[in-house]
Amino acid sequence: MMTNAVSHYCRSSIGRKHLMALTGLALCGFLVGHLAGNFLLMVGPDAFNLYGYKLFSLGSLLYVIEAGLGLVFLVHLGLAIKLTIENKKARGPQAYHMKVRTGRGTTFMSQTMPYTGLVLLVFIILHLMNLKFGAYYSTTVDGIEMRDLYRVTMEFFTSIGNVVWYSFAMICAALHTAHGFASAFQSLGLNHPRFYPAIKKISYLYAIVIGGGFAFISIWAHLKGV
Amino acid sequence: MASGNMTLNLKIWRQKHGEAQGKLVDYKVNNVLPEMSFLEMIDVLNEQLVSKGEDAIAFDHDCREGICGMCSMMIDGKAHGGFKNTTTCQVHMRLYKDGDTIVVEPFRAQAFPVVKDLTVDRSALDGIMAAGGYTSANTGNAQDANSILIPKPIADEAMDAAACIGCGACVASCPNGSAMLFMGAKVSQLALLPQGKPEAPKRALNMVMTHDHLGFGNCTTHAECEATCPKGISIEHIARMNREYLKAAFTYFEKKRDE
Amino acid sequence: MGIKLDSKIPSGPLADKWDNYKFDAKLINPANKRKFTVIVVGTGLAGASASATLAELGYNVLSFCIQDSPRRAHSIAAQGGINAAKNYPNDGDSVRRLFYDTVKGGDYRAREANVYRLAQVSNNIIDQMVSQGVPFAREYGGLLDNRSFGGSQVSRTFYARGQTGQQLLLGAYSGMMKMINKGKIKQFNRREMMDLVLVNGQARGIIVRDLVTGKIERYAADAVLMCTGGYGNVFYLSTNAKVSNGSAAWRCYKKGAAFANPCFTQIHPTCIPVHGDFQSKLTLMSESLRNDGRVWVPKKPNDPRKPADIPDEDRDYYLERVYPSFGNLAPRDVSSRQAKYRCDEGLGVGPTGRAVYLDFRDAIKRDGKETIAAKYGNLFEMYERITADNPYETPMMIYPAVHYTMGGLWVDYNLQSTIPGLHVLGEANFSDHGANRLGASALMQGLADGYFVIPYTLGNYFGSTKLEKVTTDHQAFVDAEAAVKQQTEKLLSIKGTRTVDDFHKALGHIMWEKVGMGRTEAGLKEAISGIRKLREEYWQDVNVLGGEDNFNVELHKATRVADFLELGELMALDALERNESCGGHFREEFQTADGEALRNDETFAHAAVWEYTGANSSPIRHKEELVFENVKLATRSYK
Repeated sequence: MMTNAVSHYCRSSIGRKHLMALTGLALCGFLVGHLAGNFLLMVGPDAFNLYGYKLFSLGSLLYVIEAGLGLVFLVHLGLAIKLTIENKKARGPQAYHMKVRTGRGTTFMSQTMPYTGLVLLVFIILHLMNLKFGAYYSTTVDGIEMRDLYRVTMEFFTSIGNVVWYSFAMICAALHTAHGFASAFQSLGLNHPRFYPAIKKISYLYAIVIGGGFAFISIWAHLKGV
Repeated sequence: MASGNMTLNLKIWRQKHGEAQGKLVDYKVNNVLPEMSFLEMIDVLNEQLVSKGEDAIAFDHDCREGICGMCSMMIDGKAHGGFKNTTTCQVHMRLYKDGDTIVVEPFRAQAFPVVKDLTVDRSALDGIMAAGGYTSANTGNAQDANSILIPKPIADEAMDAAACIGCGACVASCPNGSAMLFMGAKVSQLALLPQGKPEAPKRALNMVMTHDHLGFGNCTTHAECEATCPKGISIEHIARMNREYLKAAFTYFEKKRDE
Repeated sequence: MGIKLDSKIPSGPLADKWDNYKFDAKLINPANKRKFTVIVVGTGLAGASASATLAELGYNVLSFCIQDSPRRAHSIAAQGGINAAKNYPNDGDSVRRLFYDTVKGGDYRAREANVYRLAQVSNNIIDQMVSQGVPFAREYGGLLDNRSFGGSQVSRTFYARGQTGQQLLLGAYSGMMKMINKGKIKQFNRREMMDLVLVNGQARGIIVRDLVTGKIERYAADAVLMCTGGYGNVFYLSTNAKVSNGSAAWRCYKKGAAFANPCFTQIHPTCIPVHGDFQSKLTLMSESLRNDGRVWVPKKPNDPRKPADIPDEDRDYYLERVYPSFGNLAPRDVSSRQAKYRCDEGLGVGPTGRAVYLDFRDAIKRDGKETIAAKYGNLFEMYERITADNPYETPMMIYPAVHYTMGGLWVDYNLQSTIPGLHVLGEANFSDHGANRLGASALMQGLADGYFVIPYTLGNYFGSTKLEKVTTDHQAFVDAEAAVKQQTEKLLSIKGTRTVDDFHKALGHIMWEKVGMGRTEAGLKEAISGIRKLREEYWQDVNVLGGEDNFNVELHKATRVADFLELGELMALDALERNESCGGHFREEFQTADGEALRNDETFAHAAVWEYTGANSSPIRHKEELVFENVKLATRSYK
């Protein structure tokens, strides 16, 4: 009975929207942590490398966290693909001749969700390849030998191409989260006339801080050089 | 704002029947007066067509005072013309200018097949209602109306939701062809009121299931529905439905019992 | 053939009649109810509530509606409210007072027993609708709010903003949806009833047109309920929805159901005036506006000043002047007539001179703009949307328009017509409103008939009638279908020069001018000959394009107008025969010195009941004498 209810829930339009919202918010939370870590780049190589070392020293726990994050991401991705296909179908066989838009509803951000999402997917794959699974340099901080993540990162940003691509992806992230963050609250039923306007503002603020923050660090790193 | 006689260029979707191939056809209408409603302008065009021996344009309309929800039409890509809190029958030609070109298409969605020209079949909306858009109160056993106290703000909010006229503009405008606003309005109305509470979980589950089966899409919070709704119904009601659904999905349980 | 009118009013004192009836009525046991099938035509308040309730009781219901969904029936457009004798405000209301007001408001031309029953069940309606989740207006304490409405001296009107009809209809519709889900109602959308089928003199089925495919279909049942509303669209311009028509009732009439008081039509005083030939429909502004608005015309004809610039001494607040005690709240028929007089005197305003002002200046000054906006904001918006005038700054312009028809198919206390098994509910019947309907009473009657009357009386019919088994293969169905197809072919074969709407407008013009607010013997005679002539032209010169096997809107309209062209004549004939003025029927020959309606209770305290005798012979006028044992007939005075 329970499994029945769960599978039913996961197949329903609203159930899946809840899952989209929850996974989306989880990823939003991850981004906050990630950005905070990135700011350590500006503090200096040792601080950043130590932060990386601390994470690695979590050992198997880190793998569990990473697997969880991966799962959240895959659920978000899988549902997004499924919902997008379904929604396209629900629009019907004949397209409108005129573009449907009152100007008061859909926004550029809401309409481009699948595209900005796609950019982010490509970005994440490349990001993992370039950085997480990128070059391995060794360094010693306080007598401990560890991976020199600082160097990997700073080297990556010496290429202007990388900075442009990275910043573009972060603009997409901003656009994606500007709609997604508030939308997640709506999907979870947390839309109250008293709070929703604030949630919307927070959503935009979040998007600017996250997108702007990452992009800012990439430009800073480029200007600083290795 | 226009005054005096206008000439308008219309591009209207013509389609003989559901299976036929349709296309936009150009028409010129002269002597359009600013006091005419949009539908009266189409009436004038139809009179001209019939006089010339051509088939009149089929379009849904009935009360012509903005309450029956029968009139539809995407006018220049906007359901009901896109004027705030206004149905097509209440759009007046003074809102257009002499020489304007206006494109008129039917409400479109997978769940709204075209019947003819601008007329579509919206019975899928009834299907959602039949799945639970009611309280199971049989006639005759109601208690005195005043024995149920309902705070004014709650009654008012329920009324905001209940104002839905079932026109389907929300579906037609939704980039996802979703009927969440239509369904959310009813789920929300009945969840707010004490009379609707006993069945609230079952209602949410059944209506959503039926909505999905009927080929409507999923909500991605574009809020185009809210913007286009001629009765100004807010997506807060979708949120309330989402909440009701969440609660229901994990708590509603009917034990099988032998009676 | 000859019909026999037996109103079948139960015995006993007025207050006990309905109880006596219910006790004496035959019952059908639950296991047997499922053996009966009932056809319900129409899904307005009467039809939807009847379908839902009969299905709940266990009958199999076949429900037909002309629109694409049962939720669109024109009951939805009622704005103001619904009356009930709850007496929640403690202001002196009672079942007896609601009964009395309704009989008096109807100018003593309604049947006492029916009206009393209506008042009795009015309270159950409110309970029922609340239990269905209708969001009626509430006070802060959570109790239901009431307001006074339409010339009533007590606050007995329940309302849901300006959309009471919509909310009640959606309530009744939700009841239907519930029973559709349970499989007890089969719903047929976009179907128009084309004929009634009689077997052994009993109503046993209908012929309908599927409006989408054009297919003619047959449906058989054990009883037929007509819930098809009124025939106000005979005037072409009315507040009725475009598809509202008189055809279903008219076809029943032609099959032997008597038609009562066809000339009793209600002209509503507060509508947005006509502004051009292209106009398709008139929009009602809720009567509730008269609670705060003051009606006036300038004292000088063609006063060139803007209305706001005309000082009080140059304004004639004529309702307040003529009816000091009721003032702007005088009943509909009276207010409408006074507006007509002013315009006939040349004092009318607006581009056509057929309008009067409804002014909120003083109310805004007294209560503040916000209070007025809270009460009427949505109506003001609606008015501005249509006219581009802002009622906060300049008075509204209003003029009377056809709104409701009190006449309809004759029914007895069981709501059964002169054809056994054919029951008529709501506006389609004639029974409860006499010669004039009070505001907020139509919703009450539709729901009373559907929820609380027909479930008992239909059971009684089934319990006391022998019904043979009938299928749609029966010869009566074959013949009826053939007749429908023949008429369709005939309409399509004329291929004349004038459009259907053109004829309809011409008919509407005759009706409005000669069978409208003021009627005279000469005018009515002209109307009859004019309609006959128009009808002949129609059958020679109408242009109905397209075929019968598709979604052919012109054909749909053509059959309706064909019936209106016959119904209009009967209305004029009825008005001609009724040599008195009462309620909405105003014969200019019969008026008091100061222009009020002059009833003739000696000769006309009866319902005129018309029997169809064939296409080429005159209908026969029967009488149902109205017996007033509980109210004293008096001159209706609102002074």
